[in-house]
Amino acid sequence: MRRIIAIALLAIIVMGISLAVREIPFGKTDTKVGEYYLNEGREETGAANIVTSVVVNYRGFDTLGEIAVLFTAAIGLGAVFGSRKKRKVAEEVEKSSLIVYTGCRFLFPVILLVGAYIFIYGHLTPGGGFQGGAVVASAFLLMYLTCRGKRVRDKSNKVVESLGGLIFVGMGLVGLVIGKGFLFNFLPKGEFLTLFSAGIIPIIYIAIGFKVGAELAGVLDNLIEESK
Amino acid sequence: MVNPVLLIVVPLALAFAVPLFGLISKKIVKFLPVVALLFNLIVSVMLLPKVMEQPIHVFIGGFSPPFCINLVAGPIGILFSVLIALVGLLVSVYALGYIKEGAIEKYHILYLLLITGATGVVLTGDIFNLFVFFEILCISSYSLVAYLGNKAGIESAVKYLLQGALGSSLILLGIGLLYAKYGTLNMADLAGNIHSIKSFSNFLPLVLLVTGLGVEAAIFPLNAWLPDAHSSAPSSISAILSGIAIEVGLYAVVRVVFTIFGASSFLVFLLFLGVLTLLIGEMSAFSQNNIKRMFAYSSIGQIGLILFALSIATPDGVSAGFFQLISHTLAKALLFLAVGYMIYRTGSMDISSLEGMGKKMPYTSLAFTIGVLSLVGMPPFIGFPSKLMIIRAALLKQETLFTVLVVLVLIATVIEGAYFFRVIQAIYFRGEKSEKKREGAPLSALIPLFIFVGLIVVIGVYPKLVTNFLDSTASELLNRLDYIKGVIG
Repeated sequence: MRRIIAIALLAIIVMGISLAVREIPFGKTDTKVGEYYLNEGREETGAANIVTSVVVNYRGFDTLGEIAVLFTAAIGLGAVFGSRKKRKVAEEVEKSSLIVYTGCRFLFPVILLVGAYIFIYGHLTPGGGFQGGAVVASAFLLMYLTCRGKRVRDKSNKVVESLGGLIFVGMGLVGLVIGKGFLFNFLPKGEFLTLFSAGIIPIIYIAIGFKVGAELAGVLDNLIEESK
Repeated sequence: MVNPVLLIVVPLALAFAVPLFGLISKKIVKFLPVVALLFNLIVSVMLLPKVMEQPIHVFIGGFSPPFCINLVAGPIGILFSVLIALVGLLVSVYALGYIKEGAIEKYHILYLLLITGATGVVLTGDIFNLFVFFEILCISSYSLVAYLGNKAGIESAVKYLLQGALGSSLILLGIGLLYAKYGTLNMADLAGNIHSIKSFSNFLPLVLLVTGLGVEAAIFPLNAWLPDAHSSAPSSISAILSGIAIEVGLYAVVRVVFTIFGASSFLVFLLFLGVLTLLIGEMSAFSQNNIKRMFAYSSIGQIGLILFALSIATPDGVSAGFFQLISHTLAKALLFLAVGYMIYRTGSMDISSLEGMGKKMPYTSLAFTIGVLSLVGMPPFIGFPSKLMIIRAALLKQETLFTVLVVLVLIATVIEGAYFFRVIQAIYFRGEKSEKKREGAPLSALIPLFIFVGLIVVIGVYPKLVTNFLDSTASELLNRLDYIKGVIG
């Protein structure tokens, strides 16, 4: 009986959704704000990557919220794990083989470099702070997997995390102080398609890159601690 | 003039900065929420008289809407912001002494983020931005519920997380559909395009949004997480969850229904849902033996009552709804804070363990009693004028339906009175009289408690202090066109 009711309900929901979705013109190119960003984005923000100009400039406030969401999740994880009693077990960790160890040492800086490139060039090429930060964190994952026993330094991690967030907020506040509104792009736009262009966008994206990298590395650290 | 964006940015920046302060000294960390909230309270109170005449619109990034994210600091937004800052401040003062174990630094970060999220939700004028702040609010609540790290806490946090995450995905889906159809995320711009909810492509996003937001607002039948979460969280967090988080959820529901969709035909449904939530909440509360669970169910009931009042959708009804919201926030935060130290002393949440508290903790018990009386709706406390206003607004409609619903509301109030007086009886009239060991709550708890008591009594005696502001909140919610014009021009 319950099953029949569930199926009937599901059928009603599916029918409702399909009726609604049929009326919505998905995939059309001329959405109101989308059109505007494509046409004016380059002029108004100076960023070659339109996605970046939307993420960091037009909807920069959302991005500030997003990094706060990630921050909340990372801190929340730390709070929940931190409050549980630590099992102190004298651990005997088997060392990884020389080949794996050497490979990791070779790859670690290269991955960091790729990550940094992705967020530094976020306003010019596909990519940005979140993506670059995730790549940076993957380098630390590699470190945890191979160089067992090594840990991210808790203090420096915290400092990077905090400063990343504060630089973003600070950039926003400068705009407010000069009277143009929060997150106003107050720096010169520079020459289009060069590294030093798009005003505050690259600065914010670099801050985000560091913050996201530090945060995800911290999350990994917490999880590895817990899995022991 | 102070920019309302600071109400969001300052707590957020301090949350980011907490680890840095933590490196300097572990002791100053716990004062940061107090500083942030004091700032928020002062700024919001300063803005309050201004926005009553003219809402302040903030365009972030210096672009014009709908291409930027905008904040609408109208009467509702700032009224909520005052309430959040006030309750948040008092709870953070309480937490100075109350939170002693666990990852204290992380507690304060999450607390600041919770405040940021709540303030962001009530001030933003952009539906996706609302979602982002909503997520900050929800995720910090999940982790704070699990803060104590005991089995009950983790279990209820996971329960809360699963339901909340499902709700959030529904919200996102609804926003996606709206964006696909109208190509904009600005709430005023959306409202200007949506003329009726008759077409399915408008109705579905409305349903998705109300369902998703309704999880946090604890509207029946989406509230299964609440009794567990509110009862197993630390009491300071229970206070903020019951006093702020669910109210902000309800605000989001109401904003979506009234402003974005202008869905007057949907209101009858919410009217019934409100009364149903009220009756179920109060009846469940009646059969509880755990004091915090009883309060949690009572919060569900109160949310139902507020939803009922707001759904009457007359200026009187909406004013009454917001008044009831304020009165519930003050009383319920007071109750959770008061009971926090009682539980701390006895080590049990059973109502029977509160016996004799009237002697052992006289001041806390007094504050507790005033909170209870206000919640039930006794004069001269704030609960009396707010409940009276609801009844009056419903009866002014002069329809049989409303008369019947009012009778149901009154029945629920009687149930509420019955179980709360059981608790008062336990505190004052049961237990051994010979016990004379007094061990009251510390000053950092008593000060916030008695500020709450003061507010409850003063507003109860002079309801005009609040009702003056409520008229413009009602007109903001009911005059959709003014809202649209204010943003889009």
